[in-house]
Amino acid sequence: MSQNNKSKEPIHISNLDVKFRLEVTSHQEASALNACFSCGTCTAGCPISEFFPEYSPKKLAKMVKLGMRQSVLRNPFIWYCTTCRSCDQHCPQNVKFFNILNVLKNMAVKEGYAPSPWVEQTRQIMKTGLVVPQDEHLAEKRADFSLPALKNDGIQAKKLLELTGIDKIIKAGNER
Amino acid sequence: MSGRITPYALFLGCTTPTQVIQYELSSRWVCEQLGIELVDINDFVCCGINQINLSREAGLLLAAMNLAQAERKGLDILTLCAACTGALAEAIEQLKDQATRTRVNRKLQAIGLEYTGGIRVKHISRVLYEDVGLDSIEQKVQRDLSKLQVAPHYGCHYLMPESAFDGFDDPDNPKTLHQLISATGACPVQYETLNLCCGGKSFPISRELAFSLIQTKLDNLTHKKIDTLVVQCQTCYLMYEDQQKVINRHYRKDYSVPVLLFPQLLGLALGGDPKKDLGLHLNGIALHNLLFKAGLHARL
Repeated sequence: MSQNNKSKEPIHISNLDVKFRLEVTSHQEASALNACFSCGTCTAGCPISEFFPEYSPKKLAKMVKLGMRQSVLRNPFIWYCTTCRSCDQHCPQNVKFFNILNVLKNMAVKEGYAPSPWVEQTRQIMKTGLVVPQDEHLAEKRADFSLPALKNDGIQAKKLLELTGIDKIIKAGNER
Repeated sequence: MSGRITPYALFLGCTTPTQVIQYELSSRWVCEQLGIELVDINDFVCCGINQINLSREAGLLLAAMNLAQAERKGLDILTLCAACTGALAEAIEQLKDQATRTRVNRKLQAIGLEYTGGIRVKHISRVLYEDVGLDSIEQKVQRDLSKLQVAPHYGCHYLMPESAFDGFDDPDNPKTLHQLISATGACPVQYETLNLCCGGKSFPISRELAFSLIQTKLDNLTHKKIDTLVVQCQTCYLMYEDQQKVINRHYRKDYSVPVLLFPQLLGLALGGDPKKDLGLHLNGIALHNLLFKAGLHARL
C-alpha cells in the first residue's frame, strides 16, 4: 500500500475545529462514531481502500474525531464510496460508517461541494420521476417489446423534493 | 410452496425500464410463467438511493413516497434492482421510528400520501425463492442447462444492510442465488471474488475506480472458465457487461465474459423464446456458446 505523504505532516492544533465531532455525532445515525476504537476492520474490508488507499474509512473517522473539518469536508475521496456496506457489516462496534459518511457528504453539500452527477440526477427526477432521461426512441423500443409506456411526469417528486431544500442546492449550481 | 402467490406492485426503478429492458422483459415473462401477478404503478419514482448523497431527508422521502403508493394499493413491492431493494427495505426500517414517520408523513401530506407501515419489499429473486420455491421451479424446467457453469453475483444491496432483510440469506456467505441457479438445472460455480462490489455507485464519480473493481472480478471469472456470470441487478449488469466492452477498448483487453440477468437464465430453463420472451439479443457479449450448450442453435 502506498503511503500518503501528507499524512506525515504534523497536525496543528490551532487548525482543528473541536466542535466538528459534536456537530457530526449530534445526528442520531452518526452518534455511534463515539464507539469507534479505530480497529480498522472497516478499511480492511473496503473494496475502495484496496484500490485507492487515499480513501480510508478508519482515517476519516479519526479525522472527524480530531476536528479536521476542512480536510474531511473538502476531501474528494469522501465521494468515492460505492455504498457496498461492507464497513457496516463487519464493524465490531456497530459504528455504521456508511451513515457517518452520508452525514459528512450532506454537510459538504451545504458548504457548496455537491458533485455534478448527483445534482444532475436529482434535476432529472424532478422532470420525469426517474434519474435516466427518456426519449421517443425509448418509447418506441418499449412498445416494440409490448412493455407499458412510462408515464411519470415527476410533478409529485418535485413537490416533495422542494420540501427538503434540495432544489436550492441544484439551483445554486454549487458544483465542485 | 402451494397455493396462490399474493400479487406484487412491480418496482422497475430508473435504469431497468430505460437502459436494460431485457431485465424487465424477462422478469415479467418468468413471473407470468410462475404465477406471480405483477401490478404496474405509474406513480412510482426513483427509490432515492443516490439522493442520500446530497440530502438524507430527500432520499428517505422518495423511498417513503414509493412505499406509500404501494400501501395505498394494498400491495407489497417486488423490485428488480438490488439498490432499490436495499434503499426501500432500509426506509421501511427507518420509518418504524414513530418520530421519523410523523416527520416524513407531514411532508408526504403535501402530495396527498401517507405511509403507515406494514408493507414489505422483496427482490424478484427472493420472491422466486420464498413464494414460488425451489421445488416448484425445478418441476417447471423444460430445457436442459446442466452443461452450463454459472458464476453468481448477488449485488451488495440485495442483502445489506443485513438488519433490513430479517434473516434472509447471509451477506458474508450467501447461498440463495446459488440454489436458484441449481434449480434451473445449471451448475453454480464458487469463486474467490464472489462478494466483490460492481462499483456501480462509484462509477459516476470515478470511472477508474469502477474499472479496477470490474477487472478484478473479470480476471477471476476468465481464469475460472465459466459459461456466464449471472447478476440480479441492472446496475451490476451494466458494470460487468457494458463496461466490460469499454474496458476492452480503453485498456486493449479481450475480456469476453457473458453476463445474464437471472430471469434470463431462468427463462431459458422454463423454455422461453430467447429473443421475444427474454431479450437475449439485447445482451452485448456473445452468447452463442452458452446457447449451444443449452441445446439452442438459434441465431440471436
